[in-house]
Amino acid sequence: MRQVLEGSHAVSEAVRLARAQVISAYPITPQTHIVEQLSEYCANGTLDARFLRVESEHSALAALIGAASSGVRTFTATSSQGLALMHELLHWASGARLPIVMAEVNRAMAPGWNIWADQTDSLAQRDTGWIQLYCENGQEVLDTTIQAFRLAEWVNLPVMVNLDAFFLSHTYEPVDVPDQKSVDRFLPPYKPRFQLDLANPCAFNQLAPPNIYMEMRHNIQMAMDEALTFLEQMEEEFESILGRRHGAVEAIQCDDAEIILITSGTVTSTSRQVVAELREKGEKVGLLKIKLFRPFPVNMLRERTASASKVAVIDRNFSFGASGIFAQEVKAALCNFPGHPPVYSYIAGLGGRDITMEVIENIYWLTKKSTAPENESSWVGLREVDHAVGQS
Amino acid sequence: MATQQPLTNPSPLLIPCSYLTTEGNKTGSWRFLRPKYEEKTSPCSAACPAGEDIGRVEMLTAQGSFKEAWETILLENPFPGVCGRVCYHPCEQQCNRREFDEPVAIHILERFLADTASRYELKPSLQKLESKRQKIAVVGSGPSGLAAGYFLTLLGYQADVFEALPEPGGVLRWGIPLYRLPLSILNQEIAQIRELGVQIHCGKSISQELLRGGKSEYDAIFLGCGHSRSLPLKIPGEDLDGVKNGLQFLTKIRRGEVADLEGTAAVIGGGNTAVDTARSAARLGAKVILIYRRRRQDMPAFAEEVEMALEEGVELWELQAPVKIAAQDGDFVVTLRHMQVVEKNRQKRARIKPDSNKKKEIRVQHLFKAIGGEASEPWYDPPKKKRGMLRLSDCVLLHKSREPTLVYGGDLVADIKSVAHAVASGKQAAIALDILFNEGLDAVRPKLQTCLVGDGPSISLETYMSGPRSLRNHRVVRYHDLNTDYFQFAPMITQPRLLREERFQSFAEINLKIGASLAIREAERCFNCGLCNQCDNCQLFCPEIAVTRDNNPRGRHINYDYCKGCGLCVVECPRNAMILEEELLCDRS
Amino acid sequence: MVEIRFHGRGGQGTVMATILLAKAFFRDGYQVQSFPLFGVERRGAPVEAYLRLDQTEILIRTNVYTPDHVVVLDQTLLESIDVTVGLKKSGWILINRPSPPANLDSFSDYRLAVVDATHIALKNRLGTRTQPIVNTAVMGSLARVLGIPSMGAISEAIREEIPRQPKANIKAAETAYKEVQMLEVVER
Repeated sequence: MRQVLEGSHAVSEAVRLARAQVISAYPITPQTHIVEQLSEYCANGTLDARFLRVESEHSALAALIGAASSGVRTFTATSSQGLALMHELLHWASGARLPIVMAEVNRAMAPGWNIWADQTDSLAQRDTGWIQLYCENGQEVLDTTIQAFRLAEWVNLPVMVNLDAFFLSHTYEPVDVPDQKSVDRFLPPYKPRFQLDLANPCAFNQLAPPNIYMEMRHNIQMAMDEALTFLEQMEEEFESILGRRHGAVEAIQCDDAEIILITSGTVTSTSRQVVAELREKGEKVGLLKIKLFRPFPVNMLRERTASASKVAVIDRNFSFGASGIFAQEVKAALCNFPGHPPVYSYIAGLGGRDITMEVIENIYWLTKKSTAPENESSWVGLREVDHAVGQS
Repeated sequence: MATQQPLTNPSPLLIPCSYLTTEGNKTGSWRFLRPKYEEKTSPCSAACPAGEDIGRVEMLTAQGSFKEAWETILLENPFPGVCGRVCYHPCEQQCNRREFDEPVAIHILERFLADTASRYELKPSLQKLESKRQKIAVVGSGPSGLAAGYFLTLLGYQADVFEALPEPGGVLRWGIPLYRLPLSILNQEIAQIRELGVQIHCGKSISQELLRGGKSEYDAIFLGCGHSRSLPLKIPGEDLDGVKNGLQFLTKIRRGEVADLEGTAAVIGGGNTAVDTARSAARLGAKVILIYRRRRQDMPAFAEEVEMALEEGVELWELQAPVKIAAQDGDFVVTLRHMQVVEKNRQKRARIKPDSNKKKEIRVQHLFKAIGGEASEPWYDPPKKKRGMLRLSDCVLLHKSREPTLVYGGDLVADIKSVAHAVASGKQAAIALDILFNEGLDAVRPKLQTCLVGDGPSISLETYMSGPRSLRNHRVVRYHDLNTDYFQFAPMITQPRLLREERFQSFAEINLKIGASLAIREAERCFNCGLCNQCDNCQLFCPEIAVTRDNNPRGRHINYDYCKGCGLCVVECPRNAMILEEELLCDRS
Repeated sequence: MVEIRFHGRGGQGTVMATILLAKAFFRDGYQVQSFPLFGVERRGAPVEAYLRLDQTEILIRTNVYTPDHVVVLDQTLLESIDVTVGLKKSGWILINRPSPPANLDSFSDYRLAVVDATHIALKNRLGTRTQPIVNTAVMGSLARVLGIPSMGAISEAIREEIPRQPKANIKAAETAYKEVQMLEVVER
């Protein structure tokens, strides 16, 4: 049923429909509404799950690692500093091949203290072995969270569903909440491929010496590759039951585009509007949305950008000393691809600054005017500031 | 993208998994700190003059083991019924729970246990040591004398208590009013002491001759004669006919020789006898004024007693020193000089001096002096200094060859004149004599040190007799040593009392009984500082499952093959009943 | 697309009003989007919230800079902030206050409506005397001013979303719908 739902609650509804069995989380703005709703569902019996209150994000994930090892469906949610605190255990969850699902509300890293949208928090965890998905609206958040369980349980890797702080987490909009029966059809009860068993005690993840460690890592990479294939197969199934699909990437008017904007998260949604308006003015512009960041859909990216003469990546994140993180990935994906278009990297909207239609349009015009990228990244909309220390 | 075959099965997983036992991995070899069960001393116990093992008493009470709890008190104090009522409970002042919310009502629980024992006519199972040949005479059957007899008997000696008056009890019987201590309670506890084997001979005064002479049948004599003669005011008119003495007044009331009082009564003094006299006079119908030369906070009387006296309508005149008493038409006119504080000292009593020459007069129908007492015979007091004399914290020992050893105890030597201190004195005397008889005079002081409760001065008979408590560390547990995360806030129980109006109708006991469920709830508030109450936290938190329950008296042991010394058990012990100590290589065997 | 900006103070139900209105508009067939000004929440502090509505899917996910209409739940805000910033010409300004202000100069480019939502809330015992919850009354008056959404949709949204005193809240919305005063402002 379509209803007006907050982005955070789209996550909560999805977790309820997915029948998660153990939920553990520590509150942090702007993730709080997600777990607030879930704790209520656990308390009033709407969701038959154990809600574990813990003293930190590190403990939240540690608790889920224990729970998932015993073979149950698990969920947590966090943001920014909370995710950073989990870092050690992010590696553990993937290395231990536990299908934990996490909602990550993209918020800037401090200092300066900032609770607003910025993807650097989750992108900084790109090498931890988690599958990462970035959503643009409430519907996609709900669908992706349900799918995340299916995906995680198939490849035995943890999945992180990312949504922009406030622009998505705190925005109410119409969302179709599927009925339980349909979701159950798509997502059957979790059947663990391994689990702790009192009747047959064993130890997982003990010493892995040099003669086996590399093979274990390779096994994870194989699972990542498989995730790419399985995602598509799973989305087909999802579509057959619920009538929607989102795709690992989505190409909008890219076929004849000379310039392709590459976006992720909520910027994509606004960019759709910009591209539509530019197209009306006769501009040959396309939009490529990247939803799946890990595994990175290299081949899809190559195919979709093949005909363009320039691509412009808009990053609401930054890797110090390098460039926008999506731009890095796009460059890496294209560099061994003969005749690939030049990649322009734009940094915009850090720490919650609004990426308005004007900003996106401006990026398009800057790219069109340029003959070749002049630097690794261009920062859009920087203000003149007084650099004196201690002044505000 | 090329169309692929649909995935039907996920690809194989590679994760390390072992079905081998990890028992061979003796994580104990990593250890450089060793956790140990080591019980410590609770601050209440260290503050109790009688050294009662309060932490354990409350633990047993909380478990409903009332008899065992009562017997635990009896090991250190023969008067739980008396002390539960009249002791000023310094234990509660030191209760760690005071820093958390409110102290545990230790005195109410002590009284509850005694009342319960009495109600069910319980007989304590106390073990006496084997009989010794020495005989000891005890002069005076007040609390110190009875305690000395009691502890000597427990240590295996024959003790004969001599009392000049027809009934035993001393100040407990004659000096403490019935509304604080009903006779039945006193009689019960004295009967218990007699049952243990203490001989009490009433109506027998002792002459100084007993102290001398090599032919005495006694090896030692304990003098606990108390202070029964009141001190003089040293002002004109104090010996006028009709000016009464507080202690004698209280005694007469106990004998039933006092009629109702009419008009106003003045009581001069600030000690417990003065307050008891004032409250008793109020009960007999007088309007009472309590005259004290210092301030209320300087009064040696217990604060709670003063509080209740005021509640009952006694008027307190502070900073008034009587300088003259005159008789006038059957009344007394007391001249009072105003005093002022010269030096305030938080710890001690204020120093005072006359405030210029301000005076006033007060006319009263009854006048009582109650400014303290002294020994009624000079030879009751210990001599100033003598060879063979040992001044201990609660008694003075005088050892003479070929003559009985003398021990001066109770109020004769006490700074704070309380029942608990009298018990402490009797206990110290008994233990000191036992050491003296067995190991000689020089061993007395060092041996007494070994049975101190905490840092002392109180000592424990249980420790002396090497009971379970002797294994306990003397370190006193402080609030910051506890892990209070495990305790819930709960207010202290309120002592049920007679209404103010009901108190005037008789000398009926003011403080009423509490029931078992209330007592258990209050005892559960006790942190049991330093004691293990088998809460199992050490076992629950041990990451190596190295803590095992077994049949040893502590209920559990640590398997050092696997304990890696992380110290979680020690941190999570709510009561500080464990320690973590550096491991010495030689400990490893 | 219509964009509406709401000004209120923390605790008045400003954000809740935009959510309920979003739900009411959605019932009436509109696509909606509502969100608060993203910041730190505090009782009594100025609060802003936004509502977008359109016949087609709303793609834009940015803040609202040029609202079509403005709603002010607390008239004391007029003294501290300029509520007309970015407001489109001839847009409505709906203010919760007992009567129209004497001086209308600052509203000359716009259309003005006033409703005594505080009085209506108090009469229906919504909130406390010192902190009346005025949002449902404001919703009712806005429905009259804009002509949308229907009062039926507003009542339904209230009934579904407000667990406490739904009847009194609906009553407040209906009263406000009737009592709101719409002023024709002279253009100069």
